[in-house]
Amino acid sequence: MLEPLARVYERSVPAEPADDGLFGPGSIVWRVHRDRSFALAGMRALMVQALHPLAMAGVAQHSDWRRDPFGRLAATSGYVLTVTYGDRASANEAAARVRAVHRHVRGTDPETGLPYAAEDPELLLWVHAALVESIETIVQRYGRGLEPVDADRYVAEMVPFAEIVGVPRDMVPRSVEALNEWMRSVALVQPTQAARDAIEVVVDPPGIDGDTRELWHELAKVAIGTLPDWARAAYGFAMPPPEALEREYVRQLLGTLDLAFESLGGVMEARRRIELRTRS
Amino acid sequence: MKKPAAAMVQSRAGRSAALARLALRIGGRYVARSPRLVFASVERRRELRHDLALRSADDVAEELGAMRGVLMKLGQMASYVYEDLPQTVRATMGRLQQTAPPMSPEMAAGVITEELGAAPDEVFARWDPLAFAAASIGQVHRAITRDGRAVAVKVQYPGIARSITSDLRNVSLLRRLVGSAFPGLDSRSLVEELAERLEEEIDYGLEARSQELFASYYDGHPYIHVPHVVPALSTARVLTSDLVTGSRFEEMQGWSQHERDLAAETIYRFVFRSLYRIHAFNGDPHPGNYVFHGGGRVSFLDFGLTKTFTDQDLAPLVDAVRLLVFDNDADGFRDALERAGFLKAGAPVATQLVVDRFGHFYGTVLKDRPMMITPEYSSAIVRRFFDARSPLAPYSDVPRAYVVMQRINLGLYAVLGSMNATANWRRIAEEIWPFRNGPPSTPIGEAEARWEAQRAIAV
Repeated sequence: MLEPLARVYERSVPAEPADDGLFGPGSIVWRVHRDRSFALAGMRALMVQALHPLAMAGVAQHSDWRRDPFGRLAATSGYVLTVTYGDRASANEAAARVRAVHRHVRGTDPETGLPYAAEDPELLLWVHAALVESIETIVQRYGRGLEPVDADRYVAEMVPFAEIVGVPRDMVPRSVEALNEWMRSVALVQPTQAARDAIEVVVDPPGIDGDTRELWHELAKVAIGTLPDWARAAYGFAMPPPEALEREYVRQLLGTLDLAFESLGGVMEARRRIELRTRS
Repeated sequence: MKKPAAAMVQSRAGRSAALARLALRIGGRYVARSPRLVFASVERRRELRHDLALRSADDVAEELGAMRGVLMKLGQMASYVYEDLPQTVRATMGRLQQTAPPMSPEMAAGVITEELGAAPDEVFARWDPLAFAAASIGQVHRAITRDGRAVAVKVQYPGIARSITSDLRNVSLLRRLVGSAFPGLDSRSLVEELAERLEEEIDYGLEARSQELFASYYDGHPYIHVPHVVPALSTARVLTSDLVTGSRFEEMQGWSQHERDLAAETIYRFVFRSLYRIHAFNGDPHPGNYVFHGGGRVSFLDFGLTKTFTDQDLAPLVDAVRLLVFDNDADGFRDALERAGFLKAGAPVATQLVVDRFGHFYGTVLKDRPMMITPEYSSAIVRRFFDARSPLAPYSDVPRAYVVMQRINLGLYAVLGSMNATANWRRIAEEIWPFRNGPPSTPIGEAEARWEAQRAIAV
């Protein structure tokens, strides 16, 4: 299950990039996106993203995630990594492919009866905001740490990330506070049946080998425990006990999972490529 | 590909050990991926990733904290069990440090300043700012002391002690990991032992005392050399001892079989002599800890995992050997194993079965004749040891006092096996067993006997 993610990781971090890409080796984005807590941030982001019925409907009706959840996860993570560490041409190509797919993603959400289009900047921004807010929260709490000033810088640096998929620059929040405020301002937040189905898969993926399952469940608790209160309330999730969220314990879980990931071919090498570029 | 180890794990540990299996696969792979770094030539500096040097205590925590260091250590231990690991890897049992980048020169100098009260350039006449080897949770620098001694200075990663200690506190996770790595054995006592050993490894002061115990005992030995510690330049996080230069394991493996046999004989003598004569085991028998000088002369490094035994600990083991090998007393042999705790008393198994199964571990000394220890032989021993399907498995155990000994025994066989070493091991053992005190059986044995005679006079 980790193997496709590892292959994507290896491919998305180029050995000989033409330029430093959208962010560059000195950016906070580079530092934050290789944090060992990134998988947890991703899991939490999916939980928040799914709470927008129209964003969720687009995924539910137009993607094969249900058949191949890890393939879908690998594709998403490959996109994030390519846009982060790839050169400008690779980042723009990846974004162009996403926009091309989005053109055909439109329809009506069966539960709210509202029409949607994946090109809708509001929806794109929701997905962006949920990702950025999750990464910032998780890296701050369980990663190498993120000073508040750097967290704000991170949010601001990520503006081009939203822009290349079609969000007008001026719409994108540029600080943690602005980001949180914007998310709270989105009125249409509710878990549809499609979202509940999706999150069930996120928390307990099918076909996951027994070895990893237990660890995954523990991390899902952490994702739930760190959701914004409104998001946890929307799902009706109970707050996990405090010891399940304790930093040292969660870092031990993450360290174990990450070591499994890093021991797969290509991952350590890709990380070293990133590290060496940030040093030169 | 056969997966006996995996099958064993499943039969015993069940679902709750899921995470453990994951971690062990990880650890095993980690070991498997770094053999080049383990088998290093004398000039190993180039193989350390100085370009990726750790620059802060925070870097160290990131690299070796959050279970990473502890899991790599466990993976190293598990590499005994997993048959599908390449032989060379099992033989090397790479240390966790080999995968971690070295410290930056500034950080290493910072540790020296904190520990020895002044910057390395002041403390030493000469100081090499780049480490030349990885070491037990740290790295090794060359230096020359102010009175002209060439030394190797082991410097510990700052903050590593704290993070390993806190990871070891996650006992429930560790117990699951260990229970799965060593099915059939008592995971509680193994975790306690692992934790205790790792905590000891963190304190270089303990290691210095152990090393000095070996160094002073072997002083003047014609074949076995243990470098002395420089106490004035050693602390809990810095260990300075005489510099050893020579050939590493990989290089020695290219020598003639005769040379390799001599080296193997010395390693064998070192292990058994240390156990029976100073009641101590250097518990980390991996080839990176040996330096070869030709003609059978070997230097032994790294005493971070030393275990000492009392007469009481040893008595049942000595009895077991004597009763099996010399007295052919099956009941007595079984009784000795029960006294040592290897076999539960009153287990409903035939004594002959006990003799057959446990007798394998004495294969090198059962018969008075030259014997080649092949890689196949050594892996068969290891497999048998961990064979949870054996009818004896429900009743056998490794008592806490012997965990390290078992580890070194298996490691020793792996090393000797990878050298394809031939000797009359029985004769050599007879020289060393205190209840035999046999005559020298080889040229090395004769030189050793002369050394011992002189030693007796000197003492």
